[in-house]
Amino acid sequence: MKVLPLDKLREALNIMANDAEVYVPMLRDDISGYFQWADNPADELALDLLNTYLSPKNVVIPQTEPMYKFKTSKQDVEITEVQVREGARIIFGIKACDLKALENLDMAFLTMGFEDEYYKARRQDLTIIAQACYKPGPACFCEGMGADRINPAADVLIHELENQDYAWEAKTSRGEELTAKIAALMEERDVTLPQAEPQSRKVDMTGVSEKLAEMFEHPVWDDLSSRCMNCGICTYVCPSCYCFDIQVSNRGEAGNRFRCWDSCMYREYTMMAGGHNPRDYKKERYRNRFLHKLQFFNERYGANLCTGCGRCVILCPNGVNIIEVIEKVKEVKLDA
Amino acid sequence: MHDHNHECSCKDHGQTNPLVPTMVKVQKIVDETSDVKTFYVVGENGIPFKVMPGQLAMVSHVAIGEGMFSVSWQDDDHLQFAIKRVGLLTDALHEIEVGQTLGVRGPYGNGFPVEECKGKDMLFIGGGIGLAPLRSFIKYCFKHREDYGKIQIIYGARSYDDLCFKRELFEEWPQVPNCEVYTTIDNAEDQWAGNVGFCPAYLEEINPSPQGRIAVTCGPPIMIKFVLQALEKMGYTDEQVITTLEMRMKCGIGKCGRCNIGSEYICLDGPVFNLAQLKKLPPEW
Repeated sequence: MKVLPLDKLREALNIMANDAEVYVPMLRDDISGYFQWADNPADELALDLLNTYLSPKNVVIPQTEPMYKFKTSKQDVEITEVQVREGARIIFGIKACDLKALENLDMAFLTMGFEDEYYKARRQDLTIIAQACYKPGPACFCEGMGADRINPAADVLIHELENQDYAWEAKTSRGEELTAKIAALMEERDVTLPQAEPQSRKVDMTGVSEKLAEMFEHPVWDDLSSRCMNCGICTYVCPSCYCFDIQVSNRGEAGNRFRCWDSCMYREYTMMAGGHNPRDYKKERYRNRFLHKLQFFNERYGANLCTGCGRCVILCPNGVNIIEVIEKVKEVKLDA
Repeated sequence: MHDHNHECSCKDHGQTNPLVPTMVKVQKIVDETSDVKTFYVVGENGIPFKVMPGQLAMVSHVAIGEGMFSVSWQDDDHLQFAIKRVGLLTDALHEIEVGQTLGVRGPYGNGFPVEECKGKDMLFIGGGIGLAPLRSFIKYCFKHREDYGKIQIIYGARSYDDLCFKRELFEEWPQVPNCEVYTTIDNAEDQWAGNVGFCPAYLEEINPSPQGRIAVTCGPPIMIKFVLQALEKMGYTDEQVITTLEMRMKCGIGKCGRCNIGSEYICLDGPVFNLAQLKKLPPEW
């Protein structure tokens, strides 16, 4: 099998970065996430971290994205579209959970009536280099959400070996092309792939979506939502949460329209001019978030909008835990 | 309920990016009430896009923001939006003058089932600014008068001043063959000789039989709820009752997330639902 030695990794990333934006899990200013590789000595690689604080969703949906610029004069308005920078993009070291989340984003942005032009532009020349997960993190439950953490579908699959070198498997022609560019850095070696350690957090989603469809008005939501303070950290770090706002910034006669991540945890999210708000209270917002993840997205796209990455479980300041939510839902006895 | 495999309609928009508006000029502004104005807008080459009754469009005061509105009528060369002043954007829109530029994008949503209603008697029940979306269907029925049976319009507002489209309501529509217009206001006023009371009660008093009739209603959520109850009591089946819902929207193309009721997006699968469809949705509107 081809092996990329650990001491050649930076060089390999530099070569890839010559003709692509390469996003790599790194620690930057004490925050871990998928940042653009620039061979900055201050950036520390975080390929083993399960999970990074930020997901790689910023590669395809930047937190803030300019849409168009405008200039107004007395009666006229001139607008100029902002084009997404074309060209190759690479996500290096993405894990099965985030890859499954990317599939969700593809469904949301590219299917069901309209294609999102900004998303499509970033997605169309994206090469996926996934890393097999042999040692689960403390909150990982991707298997329960149907992810194949050892062998996720990707252009290239890398496996961290015991000596920290990376076994390298090109899985698609796109992956082969990329591999050819760094072939000189690789060695051909007999390798033993690590043994996968089991995931301790088990989730069984059988029947959950269907049961939730009967539970919209169940009192369990009062109890479950009482801990939540609508801070929105879960939606911020979630690799599958994709809701956005469209806003404007202007100075005098010129300005720009941009979109940015939004959160269903906030009251303003559904607040209408005139004051009517169908999700005015936190219980309603909390319920909508979990139903969107576990029922609504399923009904519309045939998948859960949670992929078991565990970020919200670790980062919620009040201990809201989607695994417990699923368990509580399963415990509920519905009247016949 | 909605067709999960419907074809991409973005090609029909004449815009490559469905989130970027087309610029239009304000051709005419009609003061409907003290806080409702109708804006007639026209694109560089006439109508910016064609809509069906009940469909939506995003109207953009480019420097301020954009909001989703029902198109209250389209003529050959322009679109009309009746807009009530309720917030930041609509305040700014009400300051607009003829000749100024706005942005529009759309059309969005399913619209009213104009084909399925052919051959039926039509009952429209509107409250306040809720007449704006109904007006697109009412005027469509008038334009294709022979396709529809008797037309009854019940319309209520808080006061006489709050009744929109007064000229049409009191002068034009009552002249249309086989059309009855009933208006009501919430509280008695000196100059008002018509009905006083809320729409649902007036509806029950007029009591149009469900036989061969389709009821279409739009208004504040609380009015819609009581009108739906009244219609049910009067014997209308769930398939005979149509309403149009409102949720906050940002994108209009089913991506930004916020306009869902259950797994339906109001911008794509709505805003028009019949009561049978509505009953399958969570009661969150």
